[in-house]
Amino acid sequence: MTGVPLSWYLILSALLFALGVAGFLFRRNIITVFMSIELMLNAVNLSFVAFSYQLKQVNGHIFTFFVMVVAAAEAAVGLAIILTVFKNRETLNVDEVNSLKN
Amino acid sequence: MLDTIFFYLFALLVVGGGILTITRSSAVHSAICLIGSLVGVAGLYLLLHAEFLFAVQIVLYIGGIMVLFLFVIMLVNLDEAARERQFNGQWWLALACVVVVGLQIAWFMRKGAGAFKLAPAAAAAASAAKGNTEAIADALFSEYLLPFEIASVLLLVAVVGSVVMAKKRI
Amino acid sequence: MPDGYLQIFIFLAIAIAFPTVTILAAKLIRPSAPSITKLEAYECGIKAASDSRGRYTVRFYIIAILFVIFDVETIFLFPFAVRYKTLGWFGVAEIVVFLAILIVGYVWAWKKGALEWV
Repeated sequence: MTGVPLSWYLILSALLFALGVAGFLFRRNIITVFMSIELMLNAVNLSFVAFSYQLKQVNGHIFTFFVMVVAAAEAAVGLAIILTVFKNRETLNVDEVNSLKN
Repeated sequence: MLDTIFFYLFALLVVGGGILTITRSSAVHSAICLIGSLVGVAGLYLLLHAEFLFAVQIVLYIGGIMVLFLFVIMLVNLDEAARERQFNGQWWLALACVVVVGLQIAWFMRKGAGAFKLAPAAAAAASAAKGNTEAIADALFSEYLLPFEIASVLLLVAVVGSVVMAKKRI
Repeated sequence: MPDGYLQIFIFLAIAIAFPTVTILAAKLIRPSAPSITKLEAYECGIKAASDSRGRYTVRFYIIAILFVIFDVETIFLFPFAVRYKTLGWFGVAEIVVFLAILIVGYVWAWKKGALEWV
């Protein structure tokens, strides 16, 4: 590893994950909450790739790739759910969507 | 030297984009800042010699998922959504959680400092000869064969689920 | 530092710096005289018909979903494409199974009328 040590990548990943947690907890707009989840996924992906580089293995790349694939499927279905919720409740506020049935 | 500079540049993009994502009140601004953050992560992948993942990050994450987010923001009524309160009163809880997570990670990194100095694996020399995409292909189509096929089932479920759910609105 | 990427990174840094410096310089030099008319959307001189941030129809969303899903499928084809000679017929069989499962979804969406634009 030239120059940048592994721990810097891990610290950056931890920072990004903490930002995602904070956004998840104090945002109300359901779309922004979803974006915070994407931030956390990216933090985990970053540390996977950093470890993979350190160990000179390709397994971490494959894990990251599958995380991205699952994130795509999750975004497609999750955003469709958000659209349905918005159609039924006319709101995007997570605090007001608190029952499964009207 | 140069890669340290570029690491700082991309890290600034990642963290700055992340902070703006969770603090901007407009959803469109949040999405644009998140795209900036994802571009920074893609740059770090390039620094880490993960060229295939760099391309996937740009093509799939930024070109696919974030465009989907922007579509949904456009689909819901923006004026209605902007008038609602964007932040709830739980910032102290969020701060406490961030501090706890940060302390945990700092503690683990202090305790496990020895574990980060890993010896390079023996297979390093063999995999260095071929490119990143070739190495991923070899692992994906032999060792990770089952997850690869299951991924297609997952995508099928995603197509069916989202089309059924979105179709109801027409 | 990855060997071949130095030029690309320098190009990227310049590409980010150029518009930033230009916009900042323009902001410092130009006179400031804001008015409501200047902020309106420009539609060839006539008055704007409506706000550009209106609601879209949900049909765009279905097309976007299908794009993302088949985007993922295309990305799975890339590792196969660079390695198909070494993988041989076994690789072909794997990718055919993968594609067959996804094409079921495509045909279903087509039959369901998700691709119709009416």
